[in-house]
Amino acid sequence: MNFELLAQLTIAGIVLGSFYALLGVSFGLVYQTSKIFHLANAIPFAAGGYGAVWSAEVLHLPLFVALAFGLLMAVVFGLLILFLGYFPVMRRNGALLSLFLVSLGITVAFPNLLQIVFGTENIPLRTYNSEGELSSAFDNRVFSSGFLTITLIDVLKIIVSWVLIIAVVVFVKRTRSGRSITALRTNPTMATAVGIDRKRVYILVFALGSFLAGVAGLFVTAEFVASPVMALQWTIVGFIAVFFGGIGSLVGTAFGGLVLGLLSSLSSLYLPVNYSPIVVFASLFIILLIRPQGLFGKASV
Amino acid sequence: MGYYAQIAINILILMSLAVSLNLLLGYAGRVSMAQAVLFGIGAFTAARLVLPKADASSAVAASGINYGLGWHWLPATVVAIGVTFVAALIISLPAIRLIKGEYLILLTLAFQLGGEQILSVWEGFTGGPFGVAGIPPLKIGDTSFSTLRESGTILYAGLMLVITIIVILISWGLGESPFGRLLKTIRGNETLLPSLGKNPIRPELLTFGITAAIAGGIGAFFAYSQGAMVPGNFSLDLSILVISVVVLGGTGNIAGTIVGAIILGGLEPILRQVLGDEGIPWQRVIYGAALVLMMIIRPAGLIPEGALTRIRKPKVAKSFDQNLNGAQGIQFGDFTNKRSSSPEENLSEVLVIEDIKKSFGGLSAVGGASFSLRKGQITALIGPNGAGKTTIFNMITGTLSCDSGSIKLRGRELTGMPTYEIERLGIARSFQDVRLNESMTVLDNVAVAVPNQPGEKIFNLILHPLKSRKAEKSVNQIALDCLAVLGVAQTAHELVRNLSYGDQKLVAIARLLATDCDVLLLDEPTSGVDPGSVNLVIEGVSKLRDLGKTVCLVEHSVHFVERLADHAIFLDQGVVIAEGTVAELVSSAELTELYFGN
Repeated sequence: MNFELLAQLTIAGIVLGSFYALLGVSFGLVYQTSKIFHLANAIPFAAGGYGAVWSAEVLHLPLFVALAFGLLMAVVFGLLILFLGYFPVMRRNGALLSLFLVSLGITVAFPNLLQIVFGTENIPLRTYNSEGELSSAFDNRVFSSGFLTITLIDVLKIIVSWVLIIAVVVFVKRTRSGRSITALRTNPTMATAVGIDRKRVYILVFALGSFLAGVAGLFVTAEFVASPVMALQWTIVGFIAVFFGGIGSLVGTAFGGLVLGLLSSLSSLYLPVNYSPIVVFASLFIILLIRPQGLFGKASV
Repeated sequence: MGYYAQIAINILILMSLAVSLNLLLGYAGRVSMAQAVLFGIGAFTAARLVLPKADASSAVAASGINYGLGWHWLPATVVAIGVTFVAALIISLPAIRLIKGEYLILLTLAFQLGGEQILSVWEGFTGGPFGVAGIPPLKIGDTSFSTLRESGTILYAGLMLVITIIVILISWGLGESPFGRLLKTIRGNETLLPSLGKNPIRPELLTFGITAAIAGGIGAFFAYSQGAMVPGNFSLDLSILVISVVVLGGTGNIAGTIVGAIILGGLEPILRQVLGDEGIPWQRVIYGAALVLMMIIRPAGLIPEGALTRIRKPKVAKSFDQNLNGAQGIQFGDFTNKRSSSPEENLSEVLVIEDIKKSFGGLSAVGGASFSLRKGQITALIGPNGAGKTTIFNMITGTLSCDSGSIKLRGRELTGMPTYEIERLGIARSFQDVRLNESMTVLDNVAVAVPNQPGEKIFNLILHPLKSRKAEKSVNQIALDCLAVLGVAQTAHELVRNLSYGDQKLVAIARLLATDCDVLLLDEPTSGVDPGSVNLVIEGVSKLRDLGKTVCLVEHSVHFVERLADHAIFLDQGVVIAEGTVAELVSSAELTELYFGN
């Protein structure tokens, strides 16, 4: 076995897995609490990327302000979906299936709206420099040590993903608002009976989930480009991470994402690179067959 | 003409895909996100089979692109259908243990994603990203259906119309059969079907398989009509479009789907005329928005389910004598819930429960309860809230497992058995909420409980259509008789949503009767019922006793229990603390205090 290749692929797998973990926790937060199969999580993802690109080019915002603007847009769009899409259906006592269909409609309409507004072309993240010219916002440096290389964005992906995941887990476990999320998830009737406002908790998890999806969108935009179709595939991988790692546990989801990333990357030792979606699907399929509660999930009662 | 014929072909393909998906989405309430890729698998399978054999001397032959096995289109189509059917069953394999709907969404979504990738990397099968070309046109006799010529395109549109009609007939036939009734019962009520002695997993997975197989077959005809195609034709967007058509038109209603397909399928050529290539994103914005708006404004779709149902004249059971003397029951004939006879058939204690325990995470819900149900009597479980009464029902019927203890039906141990097997041994239950399908008729809601219906097996529907039809008549008669016992036969042909809650409770009890079980567990039969209807429920339950049923009920109304129960069991914190006639229990000051508080 080629040790250098193995080491390099492991690093790539950790980068990918951290990113999957971030996406998984983003969807997992929403799904655990609301049980909505929130495919439209792709929208805050794309809104984050386009928000940053647009505000840097049109509003002439400097890099970090533009990134913050992107995150703001992610949260705004996530909450818009909740208020204009899901709440009206919930008010009519719509079934989970109806909520999913709403999600599906938004998921198909939004990227095409982006295409109508911004065009089909891919937009890189560019900011105005001191001379007043648009230039690449981000110098994605490459670090090499011997046979291993890793880019700056990859390093940031690992650090930012895990810092955010840990922050979310601590928030859910330790704070009062966070515990209301757990309460609503484990026993909705009891939680509402003791005065937890379901609507407030939903707003909280959608804001948090959309924020994380926005961060993911910024990474993809900074590394590659913003494009109308940038989000859906990543979002679905986030779903898979949730069920692969184990529903109901954010930590399980995060580690599930990491394992999925490693599997996906290491599979290219034996398979062509473009087989990785197939590997991801196959891993999910096998896990659900032999361990329905997910890799790190507890068996249900 | 050729242009319009091509549009007609596209709309008819969309219509067929949507009509078949409606079986799964509309009737069973399950979503498949993988219709596009299944459609693609059928298309490429058929294409590869009908493409001409490689000419050994040709240089291109080595790459395998645009060459196949040179089959006739008919067997190729059959294979395409078979392949997609098997593919669907394999995808849904993990869902067998996880009967929740979101797993089918997840698995099909993941399969769509992985499948698109497989199609684009498997060059030997699909020709890679550039696809296959030169698929020979379909020929019947000497007539060529080549869409390269105008006359051929028009002919093909005619052929597609025939195929679409066949798909509509298949879907309609299945949807409106006893099998379809099973599917509708699954929808929104995952736990109900097992409690009626029917395993919901098989019909669900079979429906997914059929939906997929139809998509595969239509895929084959797509391939013959196109001549050339690329894997990109089968993206997630198409899956979503098909779902949108079903939702827009109205789930559970084929007429709606046809209208939906014409609207959304007709949108594309119109937008293309007006906006050119820029029309494509608009089309997706429109059908995405349509999906969202329909769910918010009109969730039942343009033509809601049941809107076209004829209100037939109710014909009340002719043979039924309202004054039952107990000796004569409902004639189940062939549909009896045949139970393997057990050694202790004639025991007076039909169901014996010994020391059953259940705790949830350290909290004891049932702490060693023991009691028995006597044959032909009404036993009431009473006690304060949280006494574990409903939990005990759940344990008897197997929806909750016992931590320890034993439950014996005529000497036969039930613990560890799945719910539907316990029902088949003769125990059925009702729920606090009625769990009726509101958009089905009263009769259908009761008929679904009749055991051993041949029409619930697709095999019979296809091979013995007449027998299934005849059986359906008897099943309806049984259901009508059951309704007559409860005095609600006149509502038989109404939709359940138009009934008062009291009547719905009676229908739920009629459904219990239709299971032909002899031990009936009633969970709060009068909760939520207006005082006027309570007497009807009391009458109904006492008729169950007249029919020789062994009844156990959980009830809060002491008045109700006093009038009905032969025997009462007082539970507190999951333990039996007293037993006797209702009068005895009510006269005990200690129990009254426990029950009513101070």
